[in-house]
Amino acid sequence: MIEVINFTKRYGDFVAVDDLSFSIGKGEIFGFIGPNGAGKSTTIRFLATLLRPTAGEGRICGHSVTADPMAVRRVIGFMPDDFGVYDGMKVWEFLDFFAVAYEIPRISRKKIIGEVLELLDLTHKKDDYVNGLSKGMKQRLCLAKTLVHDPPVLILDEPASGLDPRARLEMKALLGELRKMGKTILISSHILSELADFCTSIGIIERGKLLAAGSIQEIQQQIRSHRVLKVRLLDDSTDRAAAILRDDPSIRLVETYDHTVSAEFEGHDEDMGRLLGRLIASGIAVQSFAEEPLSLEEVFMMITKGIVS
Amino acid sequence: MFLRDNPVLTRELLVTLRSPRAFVLQFLYVSALGALVYFYWPAGEDGTRQVSPGVARRLFDIFFLGQFFLVSLMAPTFAAGSITGEKERKTYEMLLASPLRPGTILVGKLLSSLSYLVILILSSLPLMILCYLLGGLLLSEITRSYLVLILAAGTFGLLSVACSSYFRRTSSALVVSYLVTLPLSVLCVALTRTDDVVTRDFVSIAILPPWCLALWTVLEILINRRLLHPPDVGSEGKDVVDEEEEMKYAIGVVIDRDLFPDKLFAPAKRVDLMPDGTNPVLDKELRSEIFSQGTLMLRVVIQVSMLLSIPLMAGLLFLRSDKAAYYVTYVLTFNLLVGPVFSSGSITQERERQTLALLLTTLLTPGRIVLAKLVAALRVSTVLTFLLTEQLLLAYILLPELRYRVWTLLIFLVIIAITCLATSSVGLMCSALVRRTSTAMVLTYLTLLVLFVLPMGLSWYLEGIGQEQSFTPERLASITITSPFSAALSVPMHTSRIENWTGQSLNVPPPVMVQLTRNLALPVWAIFLAIYPPLSLVFFGITYLAFRWRWWKAGDAG
Repeated sequence: MIEVINFTKRYGDFVAVDDLSFSIGKGEIFGFIGPNGAGKSTTIRFLATLLRPTAGEGRICGHSVTADPMAVRRVIGFMPDDFGVYDGMKVWEFLDFFAVAYEIPRISRKKIIGEVLELLDLTHKKDDYVNGLSKGMKQRLCLAKTLVHDPPVLILDEPASGLDPRARLEMKALLGELRKMGKTILISSHILSELADFCTSIGIIERGKLLAAGSIQEIQQQIRSHRVLKVRLLDDSTDRAAAILRDDPSIRLVETYDHTVSAEFEGHDEDMGRLLGRLIASGIAVQSFAEEPLSLEEVFMMITKGIVS
Repeated sequence: MFLRDNPVLTRELLVTLRSPRAFVLQFLYVSALGALVYFYWPAGEDGTRQVSPGVARRLFDIFFLGQFFLVSLMAPTFAAGSITGEKERKTYEMLLASPLRPGTILVGKLLSSLSYLVILILSSLPLMILCYLLGGLLLSEITRSYLVLILAAGTFGLLSVACSSYFRRTSSALVVSYLVTLPLSVLCVALTRTDDVVTRDFVSIAILPPWCLALWTVLEILINRRLLHPPDVGSEGKDVVDEEEEMKYAIGVVIDRDLFPDKLFAPAKRVDLMPDGTNPVLDKELRSEIFSQGTLMLRVVIQVSMLLSIPLMAGLLFLRSDKAAYYVTYVLTFNLLVGPVFSSGSITQERERQTLALLLTTLLTPGRIVLAKLVAALRVSTVLTFLLTEQLLLAYILLPELRYRVWTLLIFLVIIAITCLATSSVGLMCSALVRRTSTAMVLTYLTLLVLFVLPMGLSWYLEGIGQEQSFTPERLASITITSPFSAALSVPMHTSRIENWTGQSLNVPPPVMVQLTRNLALPVWAIFLAIYPPLSLVFFGITYLAFRWRWWKAGDAG
């Protein structure tokens, strides 16, 4: 559905995106991950027909992004990372505006706007002014706007940024809903855990280069060999616990600090259970035993290392 | 604290002076003035300095009036965006929450917006002194003029900063500042340029400075209060202007969107979906955007322009009906000031408010978007401008000597309409060519000045040279064909009725015709009316192409 072929974007000497290629199949949810300034938005804006590439080509549903932008605009729903709303417009007027802009006839417009409002749980805000909505509501409204013309492809740039935890969860549920509707979604974020649950594939980008791309399992496999275990203890038997851990073949590096032992772990989930069992059997008062969630930075570090070695 | 270590001032100056543009502009300005003096310089081949006393006087007038015009136009352009700009960039709250005192912010904003203008004014001083050498001028007169210029710059700047602190959008602040400064500058020129030397000096030295200082103090207190307890730092919901609520407190004009003529520029909000085939951008601009900042700006515009028109109507239409063209120039000036405000931000604002990406990814073609923007801006500016023509209509109905010349009324109305088209299309073109609304506005006003006002000044200037060389009135008139002012003034207004009235035979000069080809000579207004429709089309074409290539067909940003 989406194809990016050797996309390069330069601003003067600065290379924003360097020779990027990937493709996304129908019905996939592709998570596009990278730190701020990595080139995510540049790539997304290119796909949304808003940016002229220095080199390369993009295709969506077989239409060229550069040669036939109108056809592409017809099949995509685009939500920018930062967007404004028009002043003095009500929620339904805002949606009506975009529905007309997408050439939807009046007969079906009423039904569509109602459905979209329903889907995004905005029906009660129908007559509110858009510039008075909260950030989360605006985010939902923009998503509603991307759905009015029922596009098969959705391109969402950081749809959950700046939202509170509840709104984030709601956004996640919504995306799940869209996935069930069979849409192909390209979604970007700088937080891995936000996407890991429901993406089918992932691309990791840093400094304009694609570091890794593939199905979520593949990436997780790569990450799995470098997991970090964190054990919190109730008493100060940290040295004893560290010694027990060091003995295990699946543990590589152990660090201790007040009541906590952190260890680099290479193994399967069963090994983890075995380790916990051993700790408890040795009479160590374990308060918590968990895998430390990997921050994006750490994933990057690991993946870059993997590429270098 | 106010001047030294003023971070607001430092930041603004840094931004302005960092770009080479400021210096290039100053260079161009001084070289233009220098050229003016150079061509007037009366050095004969034998090195004699024989000049008629009128030459230095005329040069001085051009310098002073030109710079006064520049000040009254540019001071609001620079200053009206000073605080609204912070609001639009969402840095206002950060600034207010800093330990900076409101006075420091105010001084920083004022000086930074005026500094460049003051530098421009002062850089003309050496050339002015050069004219002094020609004789016929008093040094005290030059000093006096510069005093008036600096006072005017300060007053207009402060007024605009005050407007800027009251409104949420630069465009609203700018329109209101213009309307407040317009009568003040007319008054100021009238008082300081009278032929009576004593009154002139008395007004500019004894009256103007204390009044200005008093006004500055009042404005400063008002702005300080506004910055110290800002009622307009919005959180959710506060951005929304409740029209009905506002109507309750409206003084004077109330805008009713269901009634004529208000619905012409502000049709009522829709209660149901748009019909098929509507241009959604046009619908949005007219029904939502104009009123989104409340009706205060529009009410002020209508009230002030109407108030101003009353004495002008009395003097120029009813007492001296042969001066009707001068009333038309007032209407044209109003459009010159207000017209571009509605168009020059229409594309840049989509970018600044980050709605452009949403708009561009729809199926709307660039032609439809740009056309909608033009029609919306043109409609608002035309209706507001034509509200001022009802006085003209009244005069033509009531005064018999005008009634016999109804065709001149038609010409006046067409000139006004064409001027509306020109100001809107130039504004839209500038909006498509640059990235920021403030730049677009400055560019629009400069373009319009070059088209509308510069030819008038140039012909006046050449008339002075013409004493030695041959500049016939026809040739002078041919320079001014792009100016609607010149077009309006070229409409012959003397009627036979006036002769009967006063019992004297009036000296009616034959209308000046511009020789186009050997067989075709037309008056200025006819040429003006002929060239502007295609010229506006060219402006629109440039707008379309610029918008299409810069934004719509995959631009370089979003």
